[in-house]
Amino acid sequence: MAQFDHDVVIIGSGASGGMAAYVLAQAGVKCLMLEAGPMVDFTRHRSMKAVYDLPYRGFGEPGRFPHITQASEFDANLWIDEKKNPYTHPENDPYYWVRIRLVGGKTLRWGRASWRLSDYEFKCKDHDGWGENWPITLADLAPYYDRVEPLIRVSGRNEGWAQMPDGKLLADESTDSLSIQRFNASAKKLGVPTTKPRRATGTLASSVNLLLPVAQATGNLTIVPNAIVRELGVDPKTGLVNAVHYVDRRSKREYTVPAKVLLLGASTLESTRLLLNSKSRQYPAGLANSSGVLGRYLFDQFYVKNTVTALVPEARGGKGPRNLMGGAGYVPRFTNLKPGKPEKNYLRGWAWDFGSGGTPSPELFPQWGTELAQTMADVQGAGFGMTTMGESLPRFEHRISIHPTLKDEWGTPAPHIEQRYTENEHNMAKDAMESGVALCEGAGFEVLAAHAQMVPPGESIHELGTCRMGADPKKSVLNGFNQAHDVRNLFVLDGSAFPSGGVQNPTLTIMALTMRASEYLMEQKKQGKL
Amino acid sequence: MNRRRLLQTIAATPALLPAQQINPSPDESAVLQAASTDAAGQPVRRFFTPAQFATLGALADRIAPSLSGRPGAKEAEVASFLDFLLANSPRSRQALYQRGLDSLDRAARTKHQKGFAELAGADADALMAPLKTKWTYAMPADPQAAFLRAAKADIIRATTNSRAIAEANAAGRRRATGLNPYWHVID
Repeated sequence: MAQFDHDVVIIGSGASGGMAAYVLAQAGVKCLMLEAGPMVDFTRHRSMKAVYDLPYRGFGEPGRFPHITQASEFDANLWIDEKKNPYTHPENDPYYWVRIRLVGGKTLRWGRASWRLSDYEFKCKDHDGWGENWPITLADLAPYYDRVEPLIRVSGRNEGWAQMPDGKLLADESTDSLSIQRFNASAKKLGVPTTKPRRATGTLASSVNLLLPVAQATGNLTIVPNAIVRELGVDPKTGLVNAVHYVDRRSKREYTVPAKVLLLGASTLESTRLLLNSKSRQYPAGLANSSGVLGRYLFDQFYVKNTVTALVPEARGGKGPRNLMGGAGYVPRFTNLKPGKPEKNYLRGWAWDFGSGGTPSPELFPQWGTELAQTMADVQGAGFGMTTMGESLPRFEHRISIHPTLKDEWGTPAPHIEQRYTENEHNMAKDAMESGVALCEGAGFEVLAAHAQMVPPGESIHELGTCRMGADPKKSVLNGFNQAHDVRNLFVLDGSAFPSGGVQNPTLTIMALTMRASEYLMEQKKQGKL
Repeated sequence: MNRRRLLQTIAATPALLPAQQINPSPDESAVLQAASTDAAGQPVRRFFTPAQFATLGALADRIAPSLSGRPGAKEAEVASFLDFLLANSPRSRQALYQRGLDSLDRAARTKHQKGFAELAGADADALMAPLKTKWTYAMPADPQAAFLRAAKADIIRATTNSRAIAEANAAGRRRATGLNPYWHVID
């Protein structure tokens, strides 16, 4: 049987696994990457189709994705098969676990919004007394943000705001449309900051085109698709990880590969599931879980999609100047920024994405037939929309555990996931809706609909925590370099490491943390500590 | 066979070539043209009763009529498509449609002594009044309003995504519509 000569094993090939390979392979470290899903071939696996030629006219196969609302009939084959990969949640607290199992992971479909965390997040407990600080500050991570942003080509505008740190950006100097200018002016009157979106650019900004090819070109990266890792083995003498047990996705044949150093980036819940499933004499409650907090403090960012839908009256009927509509923007968190007692009836805050130029859904108009057709022609391209992304608080009782009997198609015990939004998130969502309406009305827009209904936990695909880093090994699983307190040759790199998450989309931070952890790992190796 | 299906079938038929242009050697990479299953036969109704199907057809025609030569729900064969979709849908969705269509037809017979499908436009519209309720994020508590809201969304989407609309768009604007990258099974 073939054996790879490798220094490290990397589990997962997305934002964190891809970045680890990118850094380590270029530094001469031999990497073996195990990915649960198959390799994507953009030429062979993708072709153009008309919606009417799809079996369900774009509605999608009913019942195929009970929890993945993002799946369309065009891209249904990209998302995980929920029947083969089951999980449970409390009956009255649905959790939408959204997964992709392919080489590249969720970076094949991510929204690319790329905001730095600030010390409002890293030092959140110092700010308002709730939760735990990170063991690092913005100053620790800033040099890595500086290198990741150009790599994934983030565009945007630096504003000098403490809650939204500046970055190394492709400067977005585009002129805002008149409707965006009006919204920005309305926001300014109410003391609300606005800026350009900040996003990774290019036709594809994924691990598969930006990270893995560079790593593989060094000759130091071997990618093994279809390797579903079931359990990690531990040396009973040293307590270190010494093996990875995996199952071939197609044949279900089982394999074991030795590991000197393990980098885990299988995604927030999969990584923690794997650690919880890796029980041994030394770690009866799961690998690296002497603290007992592995699996705990699950959180995400709640979304209120289309919080406000409005019309720009002057754009009705296709009238108005050509530069009236179009473009987008972002409002960073602006509430509770003063230290101490919060000014609102909730802790922390939210952000908004907003955009101009869409056409509101026909559902919003209480009409049908000829009347509706005339309205839709009238409002075409005249829409203005806002979506809220709010911080949810990590709580001990929100967690992933292992189901006592349920297993996936490959025989690995499945997870049970518990998270619900509490009064803090509900109060925040309501305030976001009311504030959004005020801003739109201040801009002279006609508000068609507004609501504060959050999507279920998990649906934002920003699940975080459950294997958090911290300064105190009794209250955290990882140290500030994503290294397990209990198992020094184990690094957990994905979103599970976050102690808190703010409102910023997490992928940029996952990549920066991974770059930092990978360089720390090399330093540790040099010093003979690994 | 209706006119549209006839045209699709003709379009899918390879033109005959003069004998001297026929390549005598077999081409193993030949790509044959084919027509869709839609073009060959009439879909078989599987889910709705004849009365429900007629009510749905009439409702779809009220919600998305053909306007100014642009195809509507009827030309897009929306009732037939929704029969297929609902046959494969969860039980709760099926019940929403069955109860909603039955209720609509029953209301028509009570008020006008004829089925919903036979009503004049204004009379049909009067029975669709729950659709005039202002939109809220939560589905309406009234089951009939909830059905009409769901049906309106489905009818408009099924019409918009139909071949009939795509062909009308292509003819009018000289460009294809509804085309997107499709991901095949990855294994």
